[in-house]
Amino acid sequence: MKRFAAIMIISAALALCFGTAGMCEVGVTDTEIHIGQWGPQTGPAAPWGAVARGTDAYFKMINAEGGIHGRKLVHHYFDDAYNPAKTVAGVKQLQEQEGMFAWVSGVGTATGLAVKDYLMENKIPWIGPSAGSRHWVEPPQKYLFNVYPFYMGDAQLLCQYAVETLGKKKIAIAFQNDDYGKQGVEGAEYQLKKAGMELAVKVPVNVADTDMIPHVMELKKAEADAVLLFVTPGHVARIIGTGKAMQFEPTWMSSSTCGDFPLMMAITKGLSQGMITASFGLAEPTGHVGEVQLLDNPVQKMVAKYKTDAFDKFAAQDERYGYTFLAGIGFAEPLVEAIRRCGKDLTREKLVKELENMQNFKGVLGRINYKPFDPKDPTCRLGQGEVFLQECTENGGSKILTDWVKTVYLPSKAE
Amino acid sequence: MVNLIQMIVSGIAVGSAYALMGLGMVLIYKASEVPNFVQGEMALAPVFISYLLMNSYGAPVWVAFAGALVFAMVLGCILEFAVLRRAKDPNVLGLIIITIGLEMILLGLVSWKFGADQRSLPFPISSYDSVVIGNIFISTLDLLTLVVALVIMTILFLFFRFSKLGVAMKATQQNEIAARLMGIRTNRIKMVTWGISAMVGSVAGLLAAPVIMEPFMMWDPMLKGFAGAVVGGMTSLPGAVVGSYLVGVIEHLFGGYVSIEFKSVVAFVVIVIVLCVRPSGLLAKHYIKKV
Repeated sequence: MKRFAAIMIISAALALCFGTAGMCEVGVTDTEIHIGQWGPQTGPAAPWGAVARGTDAYFKMINAEGGIHGRKLVHHYFDDAYNPAKTVAGVKQLQEQEGMFAWVSGVGTATGLAVKDYLMENKIPWIGPSAGSRHWVEPPQKYLFNVYPFYMGDAQLLCQYAVETLGKKKIAIAFQNDDYGKQGVEGAEYQLKKAGMELAVKVPVNVADTDMIPHVMELKKAEADAVLLFVTPGHVARIIGTGKAMQFEPTWMSSSTCGDFPLMMAITKGLSQGMITASFGLAEPTGHVGEVQLLDNPVQKMVAKYKTDAFDKFAAQDERYGYTFLAGIGFAEPLVEAIRRCGKDLTREKLVKELENMQNFKGVLGRINYKPFDPKDPTCRLGQGEVFLQECTENGGSKILTDWVKTVYLPSKAE
Repeated sequence: MVNLIQMIVSGIAVGSAYALMGLGMVLIYKASEVPNFVQGEMALAPVFISYLLMNSYGAPVWVAFAGALVFAMVLGCILEFAVLRRAKDPNVLGLIIITIGLEMILLGLVSWKFGADQRSLPFPISSYDSVVIGNIFISTLDLLTLVVALVIMTILFLFFRFSKLGVAMKATQQNEIAARLMGIRTNRIKMVTWGISAMVGSVAGLLAAPVIMEPFMMWDPMLKGFAGAVVGGMTSLPGAVVGSYLVGVIEHLFGGYVSIEFKSVVAFVVIVIVLCVRPSGLLAKHYIKKV
């Protein structure tokens, strides 16, 4: 009898849960939209914690302007310390206890991969992963929309510029020993093959390595006159510094992850001047090639607006206004725009539809395009497929070297 | 041939930082009989304090460095006094876990208080200048680290040989009960050992900081220093030094001739080999059983 009563009570409770859930989309009420994000607020990748804080300030700015169709964006972001196990725990907890409508950004390839299957199986939209891994679009997932332009595109444009404009003969690469670095290698090899060249040497770098002397010795031995650095900003600083001490000073080039020139100038004590990196936005190249732009350049009106309305008003006291913070805004812009386009009646399916119809949406990053879902075509969820090149000037400004260039998506080679 | 010499020179240059960390670990191992995993963070916090002194208070370099060393001494003492000593009847595993916990706490505190952005410490000697002899180069900063490491080792040697405190420390390490009976305040000695160990480690940190500073910077030198200490013998101070330089050189030779990818792994392979062949380390007395 007792057991029968227990079963009846549990069934009734479950029925109530499912009954009420059917009434509204998960994570959406009449007044709120719940969006989740993970990020490394502590730990080895903590400098990138600014991404989630940037999104937070952006959402607060939107709420201050009245929200979207009368709803406020509630941003739930937690610290996963760049540890995939914590990402899984945090995502599951937020999703199952609070119920997120969608997930935005999220720094890290390994961290994102840990939760990708869970989110996709539960048909939860995830927009703008903060990492340029090919895993987001291979195979393409209906609910996963990439924004970050892939690193291989950076490598392609850098090599093209090095060969065609700078006339470099021996291009080498120091690459982080993971998908980020390997994309750099593939992009470089693809582009150099077109010019009938090869990489002079490929030097792998482990993330935990602090001593770059052997790596620079290899690069010097190969007599490279241009070196691609697909590593973290900390390693770039060490490599350039060791290179200077070894009297080895080629043209240093890097991916968009090291495009934060004020930071680079600070940590390299000025040695990064002249470094060329790819950039995914936060400056306006079209019509301004050859100019020097800083973050507060008058061309970028949107960036200026974010500075006054999001950063100045809502960012923490000692937050640094920079690339990473703004990237957090850039990755969230497509999601916000898609929510706007859905109108008052907001569901996940509608969100997906609006995103698929997005053509040439321009925020502070480059143009973002999606297509209706095709499981065989990675570009249907590619997002931004263009980058431009910038050079670091003596006060941390960006000299625009090229306009936006569309790069080629290279599928992963079968292992 | 030039490459070989260059690799050995670079290995020695890099080994100095490992040697300082290894020295710190052996000091504590001999006193408290625990491999100290908070060594890296005991070195890290003073570095950030010196950055704070230089940036927020505009202190000149030498004042900031002196302040950092004082802070290191105090930090080491506090850690031993407040945490380790309070462990009730611990076994080695328990103590190790305590040190790992302290490591996480200190790392978290530093990240939280100072933020995790990379920075670099202003320093009169540029980290990018180098001394070039023929075709061999060694960066000026690395040369300074080497000199400082040798000076510190000499000071420690003289300290243990000739000063009252040093002899008392040696006595405590050799036989704690007998030392107590002779009137040595062993608890205080252990506290001071931790303080000195933190100071030695923070010198390594301060000399690495001009290149780049971030909360995770001491992780690698600490592990390699630990490797060096194991190779040389956890109970032998000269052993820690020799072992660390050995690890540095082997690492660079391996990286240059065999594989850069696995360069860091080689340090730990060396540990395994040494532990199999000579478990107490290369330079330590071989104990069959400690009674």
